[in-house]
Amino acid sequence: MIDDRTTTRAAPGTSGDGTAAGREPVGRRRRGVTQQQRPLWLLAPGGILMTLVIGLPLLLAGYLSLIDLDQYTLRRWLQAPFIGVGNFTEAFQTGLLHSIWISVSFAVISTAVTAPLGVAAAIVTQNAYRGRGVVRAIFLIPYVLPSFVVASVWRTMLQPDGIVNTLLAKVGVTGGLWLSGPKSYWTLILVEIWAAWPFIYLMALAGLQSVDGEVHEASALDGANWWPKLRHVILPYLRGPVLLACLLATLSHINNFTLPFVLFGAPAPDDVNVMPMIVYVTSFQGLRFGLSAAMAIVSLLLIAVPLFAYLRALRLDVHEDGRAR
Amino acid sequence: MTLSPTVPRRRAAAGEAHRLLPRPLLVIITLFLCAMVLVPVLYIVLASLNTDLGVAEGQFWPGSFSGTSYTKIWTTANLSTGILNSLVVCGLVAVASALLGTITAYVLVRFSFLGRVTILRALVGLQSIPGTLLLLPVFVLFSSAGNYLGLTVIGTRWGLFVAYLTFALPFSTWVMVTYLRGLPRELEEAARTEGASTLVILFRIIAPLSLPAIVVSGIFAFLLGWNDVLFASVLTSPETQTAAVALQVFGSTQEGGALPVYSQMMAAALICAAPVVLLYLIFQRYLVGGLTAGGVK
Repeated sequence: MIDDRTTTRAAPGTSGDGTAAGREPVGRRRRGVTQQQRPLWLLAPGGILMTLVIGLPLLLAGYLSLIDLDQYTLRRWLQAPFIGVGNFTEAFQTGLLHSIWISVSFAVISTAVTAPLGVAAAIVTQNAYRGRGVVRAIFLIPYVLPSFVVASVWRTMLQPDGIVNTLLAKVGVTGGLWLSGPKSYWTLILVEIWAAWPFIYLMALAGLQSVDGEVHEASALDGANWWPKLRHVILPYLRGPVLLACLLATLSHINNFTLPFVLFGAPAPDDVNVMPMIVYVTSFQGLRFGLSAAMAIVSLLLIAVPLFAYLRALRLDVHEDGRAR
Repeated sequence: MTLSPTVPRRRAAAGEAHRLLPRPLLVIITLFLCAMVLVPVLYIVLASLNTDLGVAEGQFWPGSFSGTSYTKIWTTANLSTGILNSLVVCGLVAVASALLGTITAYVLVRFSFLGRVTILRALVGLQSIPGTLLLLPVFVLFSSAGNYLGLTVIGTRWGLFVAYLTFALPFSTWVMVTYLRGLPRELEEAARTEGASTLVILFRIIAPLSLPAIVVSGIFAFLLGWNDVLFASVLTSPETQTAAVALQVFGSTQEGGALPVYSQMMAAALICAAPVVLLYLIFQRYLVGGLTAGGVK
């Protein structure tokens, strides 16, 4: 989490208008200087580069979704036939709705499970004890490991003759196939949960640290039991940061390409054919670039809802932080 | 960066009054979470120290420890090429993003102009747009550079470098924005009244003061590249593939073999994770704080 000092400074930037009037008093006093000698040319290197490598491709993605682009027309894509919304209607006829459903349910379930895990982890490491540093380091392991490493090792462990099935067999359970068939959906969710909960933990931890020592002392003097205290005193502090974390986590679940790709390979089994996978397979294996651009645009619209909520909540969170101090 | 979740000492010392959970519950939850993390990690380490045969027989604890998987893997998989490519490309991305990000962030933080807030919002928003949405047009642009201009871009390292800038640049810039906001203006104002130019201020005052943040923003750019599979799997050839792609290809091809080489697989995975773990161990405080600030892995 952004610390208090930066957050209050962050307020004018992430919220409201960008004019000098909206900035802190210091800014107003020095407006003369900042207004007269704005070295905006310094924006040029970064700005031009970002326009070229981000702005241009994004615009192009919109155009690609409207043309009939495949391996034959790719060589001269400027002359590819314009077919309007044809790609979009075809996308919805060829399983895009299924992928949207898989993606959204996968993201929501993953977030719903990781949130309590992360909050619990933050609460148990809040009180100091010998060895807490080690526990905190352990909690970070799944998050620090690169996604492709996590996916690779779980893929190995979940092979039909892998360690998971061996251990399950010892207790009399038949593991079966984890990486194909209907169970693959739950495999994806379980591995994502294993890898992603520390993110909620980190955000919740930052939220817990904004709770003043006096709050603890006051509720201790009141003789509050642990559960009412946790429920009514501590958890309200966590609501803002954890909601924010959940939004961000959901976005990253929806956008996660590495995990399904490395776990299941491409093309993915039907049960884990999430949005990034269907876009990838349609373009780089089916070579239907126009069609997959349309699918990518749809996935942008899909995340636009939580993303918009996040961009707004970012501002809300700053206000809450300010009040909390 | 000033963004790390460490507890002030006074609160840590306060003890019983601040206990959030009864001790038994605390112990149970802690043990559960640690086991959830450590059991798979322990198995990965043990399997990498086992032999391929031992792992295939289903041993959790190796019959005999050996480091042979760590030596064999270099000939079994294309790992050394991959790691070298990753280091070169991601290293360059880190330097370019940190440098350009710092300059851009400085202007964004210190000066007001039309569209400033839109740019800041876009920097945050860009971190959450699907990678596939950017990869497609980048791929088409790169391949048309071959068709229309006769330039080979796909399969080259610098093509990958440019592609990685699409997500590394906004992220590094945002990391620098969050840092520079906390930096007091007084020093540079003093220099400005003495007639120092913006460039002098930027490189003589801002850069030294924010060196830790610049390093962190570079490391994040590096990690974004190192962890990427999507762009690298499309934009590289076997000679220029990254460590991530090398591992993924190794993983999906070895399964067809008669004897599974799971032990080498685990060793390769740990080797690929090593640079990242190392960076976290060195820069732990800064990186952990930055993670939550940017919200991106």
